[in-house]
Amino acid sequence: MMGNLAVHFEGVGKKYTHFALENIHLELEQGSIMGFIGANGAGKSTTMRILMGLVRQDCGTVEVLGHQMPKEQIAAKREIGFVSEDMRLYEAATIAWHMQLVGKIYPTWDQTYADHLCKHFDLKPQQQVKGLSHGQRVKAALMLVLARRPRLLVLDEPTTGLDPVARHEVLGELMKVLADERRTILFSSHNTLDVEQISDTITFIDRGRIIDSGDKESYLDSWRRMRLDVPPGVTLPALPGTIATERTGRIAVLTTCRFDPAMTALCRDAGANMQSVDRMTLEEIFIQNVESRRERVIA
Amino acid sequence: MNYAMVRMLILKDWYLQRWVILGSLVGGAIALAITISFGKAGFFIGMILLITILIASGDQLAFALVVNERKEKTLAFVMSLPISSIEYTASKVLANLLIFLVPWTAILAGSLALILATPAIPHGLVPYVTIMCIEILVTICFVSCVAIVSESQSWAIATVIVGNLGFNVVGYLVAHVASIAATMFGPVVVWDTASVAILVAELATMILLFAFTFFVQSRKTHFL
Repeated sequence: MMGNLAVHFEGVGKKYTHFALENIHLELEQGSIMGFIGANGAGKSTTMRILMGLVRQDCGTVEVLGHQMPKEQIAAKREIGFVSEDMRLYEAATIAWHMQLVGKIYPTWDQTYADHLCKHFDLKPQQQVKGLSHGQRVKAALMLVLARRPRLLVLDEPTTGLDPVARHEVLGELMKVLADERRTILFSSHNTLDVEQISDTITFIDRGRIIDSGDKESYLDSWRRMRLDVPPGVTLPALPGTIATERTGRIAVLTTCRFDPAMTALCRDAGANMQSVDRMTLEEIFIQNVESRRERVIA
Repeated sequence: MNYAMVRMLILKDWYLQRWVILGSLVGGAIALAITISFGKAGFFIGMILLITILIASGDQLAFALVVNERKEKTLAFVMSLPISSIEYTASKVLANLLIFLVPWTAILAGSLALILATPAIPHGLVPYVTIMCIEILVTICFVSCVAIVSESQSWAIATVIVGNLGFNVVGYLVAHVASIAATMFGPVVVWDTASVAILVAELATMILLFAFTFFVQSRKTHFL
């Protein structure tokens, strides 16, 4: 494994009765924030559980912070903070009890930071988990992880089910964590807005396969939706990276993943008029990516 | 094996089950008091109560410590800690056993002391009571091991039913072993070969149950 990689998946597969994770290659550089986007059931959680050593892959290798998984999961988990949407704390215990438990396990536990996070997240340490709202539970779980100052944060849909204020607080705190350049984050969500806000690299997963991976800015820069007026008799030139073409009468809408300003001139030379070139949101890029892949699979 | 982590997880379970432990000790004390206070009827009612308290507290532990860990989704929290699946298994097996041993030891000691201290109760009952108390321990280990391996409420409930039926069958069979039956209501405690052999078989069953649990757990490929 290269020295600057925090996470390295090589040819990883896992088969279940009705689902299979196939040939997963994933590289996450240290200090980067990867948004892991996929629909429900796409394989995000399975991938993250394999990363944590909680699920043993059928094939392939997984290295996390230099540790082979799942064999060296104990050493790896000392440096990983894991929060998942379906993770719960003990209802009969207080937040303070959980803080004490985690503090005893991890020598890196920072009580001052934990107290700060409690205040920031409006958590009362003496409160029992039983009485917490969903948002407070997620924030408590996140506080327990962040106060350990782990090298790698693995967050599986942490913002799912949160109200807008809680989501803003959680994302805001994550943004602060990112100020530490040594910290690496893998953040899964089907909410592309959250991912767009904090990630610098993006990986799309669909039906157990990684369909695309790259840095966020490149995605946003290279994907465009072009609207053209194509008079009768005019044939559009073959444009590189065209993912989809929709035609309604004279109007053609082209989606490309390799936009180049020169494309405008090419279309004009062919006789078509470029009416607009629109940037696409990460959500639009994700949907287009998934649809085109599924169409290719069917074809 | 990271013994410090296993110890910490056992202490965690101990803390979370502290009211069950206390409740079973108080219940056991009340049952013993009934046993000595109300003559023959009190003796039988007290003994039934003792058995019920032991089995109920043991089953409650298996459900609370293992089945609920998955059901209430705290398993993800525990498994995110720096432990392996085998350490998790060790912590659960030991937590179940050690926590259950608190009321079990107290109730067994109380029952034996009661038999030996009360002239009206035949001392010959000591081997039978000991065998049946250990049988309860075996039954609880059986329920705990199935709960750990299956992580399923349905399987655990089925095991509770089988375990309880098994306890009654064993009780009947042991009481009908000729050498045990001959001395059971006598004034002297007699540990004959059959009694010792049954105790050894019970202990061997527990060891086999634990070995089977660790074997299955070591072959599992997913923990969430």
